[in-house]
Amino acid sequence: MSRLAWIPVGIVLLLLPLYLEAPWLKAGQYMMIGAVGAIGLTLLTGQAGQLSLAHGFFLLVGATSYTVLAGPKGDHLGLGLDPLISLVGAVAISALAGMAFAPVAGRVRGIYLGVASLSLVFLGLYLGQAAESLTGGTSTGRDPATFKLFGFPFSNEGDLVVAGVPIRGTERIWYLFLALLALAYWLARGAVRTRIGRAWRAVRDNEAAAAAMGVDVRRTKASVFAVSSAYAGLAGVMTVLWFDILKPDESEYGTYGVNTSIAFLAMVIIGGLGSVGGAVIGALVVFGLPQVLTLYSTDLGWFTGSVTPVLVSSFVYGAAIVLVVLFEPGGLAAVGPRVKHRIRELRS
Amino acid sequence: MTELVLQNVSLRFGGLIALDDISFTVSPGSLHALIGPNGAGKSSCFNVISGLYRPTAGTVRLGVQDLLRLAPHRVARLGIGRAFQNTALSPHSTVLDNVLLGRHALTRGGFLAGGLRLTSRQERLHAARAREICDFLGIGASVDRPLGALPYGVAKLADIARALATEPSLLLLDEPAAGLNTDETAELAAMIGQIRTDLDIAVLLVEHDMELVMGIADQVTVLDFGRVIADGTPADVQTDPDVVKAYLGVTT
Ligand SMILES: Nc1ncnc2c1ncn2[C@@H]1O[C@H](COP(=O)(O)OP(=O)(O)OP(=O)(O)O)[C@@H](O)[C@H]1O
Ligand SMILES: [Mg+2]
Repeated sequence: MSRLAWIPVGIVLLLLPLYLEAPWLKAGQYMMIGAVGAIGLTLLTGQAGQLSLAHGFFLLVGATSYTVLAGPKGDHLGLGLDPLISLVGAVAISALAGMAFAPVAGRVRGIYLGVASLSLVFLGLYLGQAAESLTGGTSTGRDPATFKLFGFPFSNEGDLVVAGVPIRGTERIWYLFLALLALAYWLARGAVRTRIGRAWRAVRDNEAAAAAMGVDVRRTKASVFAVSSAYAGLAGVMTVLWFDILKPDESEYGTYGVNTSIAFLAMVIIGGLGSVGGAVIGALVVFGLPQVLTLYSTDLGWFTGSVTPVLVSSFVYGAAIVLVVLFEPGGLAAVGPRVKHRIRELRS
Repeated sequence: MTELVLQNVSLRFGGLIALDDISFTVSPGSLHALIGPNGAGKSSCFNVISGLYRPTAGTVRLGVQDLLRLAPHRVARLGIGRAFQNTALSPHSTVLDNVLLGRHALTRGGFLAGGLRLTSRQERLHAARAREICDFLGIGASVDRPLGALPYGVAKLADIARALATEPSLLLLDEPAAGLNTDETAELAAMIGQIRTDLDIAVLLVEHDMELVMGIADQVTVLDFGRVIADGTPADVQTDPDVVKAYLGVTT
């Protein structure tokens, strides 16, 4: 997208909280969580070619780290740090966790790496239940500290009114998430165009050739695992702020489970592997659809018994993946340029 | 550059002996050809020099440096550039992006530096150098095109451009003329000559095109079934009975 095109998009996103009801804002926030996580995964899997099903685990690492770092000293372990520092710390810890896993990628490749990474999700499931002093355990979970920016709380506390609209917790979190997503997007877009992005793609396309060009393959893989996990960790922090609770999963299917890892993979495939913008679009589809369907569910009257919005969305994005793989391997990100190309052809 | 010396190098794949006790020396600034029939072990020899294969015996030295102790990226950073037999480029990236990969060891900066746009100046400078190299090889007009959309001849040159972008003192070229027509091959021969004389880079060349090899090389090493069967000037090697036998398959 050209720079000018961003201005109206930015204005709309900034004004939305003044018009949308809280449930819609919550839905939008959830899509932003997906977008941040998906950008991280598209760097790892799309740019650097490292298949990972561990994204859900790194979300849990970020979520737990934030809660512990910012949490009050009490029943659970809490360091009571400033929330902004805690957020940065949680992202850093997630990056380190990703880097620690990277050596596995030196030994196994492709689908085998995917399977190996899946074991982390089960590790997360176990730790989430076992390390109750950190996570609060599966039955009660644990309250995260309210996010504060230089003392300004992202909650309902204090009166703040803009253009006659009260800016309460939901609105504030919207702006926080929007800023985090913008930063995450901007950093990723910049990085893929420079030295590190070229090294990632070289490792994806031919490790031997990359090494022969002076690229330290091991270090390059470590860097992309670190970056990708940092993004997942940030998405994890956003997740606890969104739910306003840290609650580890009871089974491998949950907020930080296998299904979440697969949802993120779906986002990056639908959006087009390696495309940062595509990852955001993929998140709108995969995380947005169930949210929007839920909001419309009573009006639609479709959802009875076992047919839930989540189930319907799973089918829709499952079908979307099949369509992408069959007809447009470049994903939704490639559709725009293709249409433009077609129009130009028709004109001449 | 200092001398590249291979001494008694052997390489096995299971029961297959790909390289059998080979020794030869590439002198600084020379254009050295490594020839031999299919499967003779030429590419394997390149992979040993690049550090991608580890020989079962022997030594490989660049001056005083023992290359066998170094990881492939460290070997590259000593000034050994490499173009691959079937090209090994990223098809979805542009030619420029591919060539810029060669600047990896000459530049700095990771995710944050790139993401925060702190490396823009460096990127610009090195892109300019990469374009210059592409111009030198005559593919300047294609730098911004995605590699996959270009003819094979251009891809071959892009692969050489990428190797040159590492600013090597020794360039390993694995069958650069394969798949090129006669005119393109003649142009390539001129270009390889220029790389050696104008850029002062030693070239170790694997090539099947005898006319090309004998026309430009000053030293020729001949491999057959993993063994060195001849080593000398083009004139010496051409008349060597073992070489004639290996190439024509004559049994006496
Ligand atoms: N990674 C490998 N694993 C097993 N065998 C290998 C490997 N690489 C090469 N070989 C074998 O080693 C021998 C030498 O192969 P190499 O590719 O070095 O030959 P070459 O001289 O480059 O041939 P060509 O002219 O066809 O490129 C061949 O028999 C080949 O099958
Ligand atoms: Mg070969």
